[in-house]
Amino acid sequence: MHIRRFVHRLALLALLLTLGLGAASAQSADPTAVLNLATNADPTLNPWTPGAVIESNLINTVLFDQLTRYSPEDLTPSPALAVSWSAEEGGLAWVFELREGVQWSDGAPFGAHDVAFTFNDVVLNPELGAQSASQYSAIERVEIIDDLTVRFVLATPFSALPYYLASFAGIIPEHVLGSAENPLTVASFNKATPVTTGPYMVAEFVPGSYVRLVPNPLHWAGEPQLAGLVFRVIPDPNTQVAQARAGELDVVTRLSPNLATGIEATGRLEVLRQSQNLFFFVAPNHDDDRFDDVRVKQALLMAIDRQAMIDALLDGFGEVATGPVAPMLGALYNPDVRTYDYDPEAAAALLDEAGWTLGADGVRAKDGERLAFSMPTGQFGDLVPATLLVQQYWEDIGVMADVNILEWNAYIQDVVVARNYEVTVAWWSMPPTADVAPYFSCSAARTGNNIPNYCNEELDELMNAGRRALTLEDQVEAYAAMQEFLADDLPYLYLWYPDILTAKNVALQGFPEITAATAFQHAVDWYIAR
Amino acid sequence: MIEFVTRRVVQGGIVLFLVSLLTFFMINLAPGGPSSLIDMQSTAAERQARLARFGLDRPVHERYVTWLAGALRGDLGTSINQGLPVSSLLRQRIVPTVVLAATSLLLAAAFGIVLGVIAALHRDRWPDHVVSTISTLGMSIPNFWLGIVVIIVFAVNLGWLPASGSASIGRGFDLGDRIRHLILPAGVLAFSLMPNVVRVTRAALLEMMASDFVRTARAKGLVERVVLVKHTVRNAMVPVVAMLGLVATVLFSGSVVIESVFGWAGIGRLAIEAANGRDYPVILGVTLLAGAIVVGINLAVDLLYAVVDPRIRHD
Repeated sequence: MHIRRFVHRLALLALLLTLGLGAASAQSADPTAVLNLATNADPTLNPWTPGAVIESNLINTVLFDQLTRYSPEDLTPSPALAVSWSAEEGGLAWVFELREGVQWSDGAPFGAHDVAFTFNDVVLNPELGAQSASQYSAIERVEIIDDLTVRFVLATPFSALPYYLASFAGIIPEHVLGSAENPLTVASFNKATPVTTGPYMVAEFVPGSYVRLVPNPLHWAGEPQLAGLVFRVIPDPNTQVAQARAGELDVVTRLSPNLATGIEATGRLEVLRQSQNLFFFVAPNHDDDRFDDVRVKQALLMAIDRQAMIDALLDGFGEVATGPVAPMLGALYNPDVRTYDYDPEAAAALLDEAGWTLGADGVRAKDGERLAFSMPTGQFGDLVPATLLVQQYWEDIGVMADVNILEWNAYIQDVVVARNYEVTVAWWSMPPTADVAPYFSCSAARTGNNIPNYCNEELDELMNAGRRALTLEDQVEAYAAMQEFLADDLPYLYLWYPDILTAKNVALQGFPEITAATAFQHAVDWYIAR
Repeated sequence: MIEFVTRRVVQGGIVLFLVSLLTFFMINLAPGGPSSLIDMQSTAAERQARLARFGLDRPVHERYVTWLAGALRGDLGTSINQGLPVSSLLRQRIVPTVVLAATSLLLAAAFGIVLGVIAALHRDRWPDHVVSTISTLGMSIPNFWLGIVVIIVFAVNLGWLPASGSASIGRGFDLGDRIRHLILPAGVLAFSLMPNVVRVTRAALLEMMASDFVRTARAKGLVERVVLVKHTVRNAMVPVVAMLGLVATVLFSGSVVIESVFGWAGIGRLAIEAANGRDYPVILGVTLLAGAIVVGINLAVDLLYAVVDPRIRHD
């Protein structure tokens, strides 16, 4: 990475931001405003605790600053607790310079020891099973160079490290959690008043009701501009929207498209179409040798009218996927790959060519084996209707899918853990980087996030080339080749990139639109216009 | 009397033991596992490490014995997904549920008995039809739908009442504020429970009004109001009290839905979250608590019979 140019750009950006914010605040920030947000369940206030997922991610992003955060312009990693970083030894080590003078909310100094503790003792401790730990498996250990310098020592190159460090990777305090038998399950921290570095800190946690945050007077970027944030626990999405319309909520994230309609009519709320590096897919289980012939997978994808599904299920709030890397990644997204437009006739012809011919029962078969699949699905979001639509499309070309609807928890156990399926619809949400190895590499098949159990050494090599590439130019080149391969060989049948809808109070300013994570990483800039 | 109560308490203990045994083995047979240990993103190694940390890699019967030994000492274990002691979760959540349930029961009983009496007195005339229409609506409209509708009408459109929660945030205890928060959820829950009370009251009253002692009371020249209040309604209360006992137990299942819709931090929502997230210790704790409450209510109902009908005695 061209560090000098990068730093220049950052300095300029910081200057512009300061000027912009200064002007805006002087104009109209209401210092007494309290912002009300919704969360669907009681959060766990520790970013690494197993199970701290959707209900906890955004509040933890506000509470726990990370080494890096996404730039609101183009999602590149920008300084947070770290001010600069560079790769060494050809990408086998990364050195991060930490910000000076940062304090925890209890007044204790923040430093390299906290970063080393977070990674060495928590994330990389296999006995704890920390949330998302597998994403950091390339890290061997974190070394303390001095109080404000750490060095990430890697087992294999991992050029996306600064991106992953901005992805729900909050630093936790060693002086509070270091002595705990299990730093991930300290109830007085996770469920009460944790010690944090973010612009707001917890004042009150009422289980089942709300978590109230107040400005952290010790925050390194100065005090934020709201009198507080309240995360209300509201499990029912209909109630969340009703409350937003009634004026009791200012931000509702992960809004489903059918609830978004008409919400702007009140004049108080606006709907943001945010993006995320997230794709929905049909996973073919590659343990099944019928998927050895890529033509089968290509035909199955061509038989699905994805645009029609987006229109029906998402009210059009989405885009047909060409691979796992979403267009929001800009230069890293390669649009020039093989695409599969809806064409049931071509799909049928391709299956004929592959030897799968229509049998008397209307189902294709080859050498006595039928093209019929078990297709379990889970009760979550739009998965069930999406599965039923795919089943219909496949029936049109003589492919049978036996759909079995499972309760969500049972689905995860059966399909994700036990891989007991032949095809299934699901999604992956990833950091905004083209490094998608955790979902595709041979090492993640059967045990990790490679649900389709796909393994191809050529692909592994292409992904590793991306992990070794330290300049943007090299990454663009490496990942373009990877995306071509992924579109040709279809480890997953890519469905769509959904828009991530967020409803927010029109008076709420300084709220980056690009992704929800980015917006919450910049909570210090939020204010309510008077 | 004391012997009766003692016997019933011992029986209740046995019931609770059986409930815990059945629940423990059934939830462990259900597919899936605690959502904090087995989420979509976790890898096989992570899952294994987490299961071992919570002792969930041990056989079910062994875990039951450990749990039972703890429970007998008053330790219901620790929530797997929330990391808090089960007893403290139950303590936090029981008060809001009792407040909501008691208010709903009171409303259902008050309106149900009044409407039932009106229906019986005007049998087959228009007031009876109006009451029976209201009951049918209460019976057939699903709670979750009615909940959303009243939120939209009273909170969103009219702005009269808060849409959810049990108190305004950041304010101290304020009775008026609490009551305003209580009206919608308790009203919806009461509306769905009321029809049972109306039906039983109406039927019991009609039966009483046709009975000999009521005719005698009238024959000896008592004023109609005295006949109605002292003789008929009081005697009709036995089946109504029995019904209220049944309704009180149904309240808990109704509150599961209502608590989710109205963001009410009670036991019902805790139960749903625990079941969806396979939080075994919490499921057990909630089931036991609900079991204890049902046993307690049944005992209370039996004792109440003696109050409303002196012929019933627990000797």
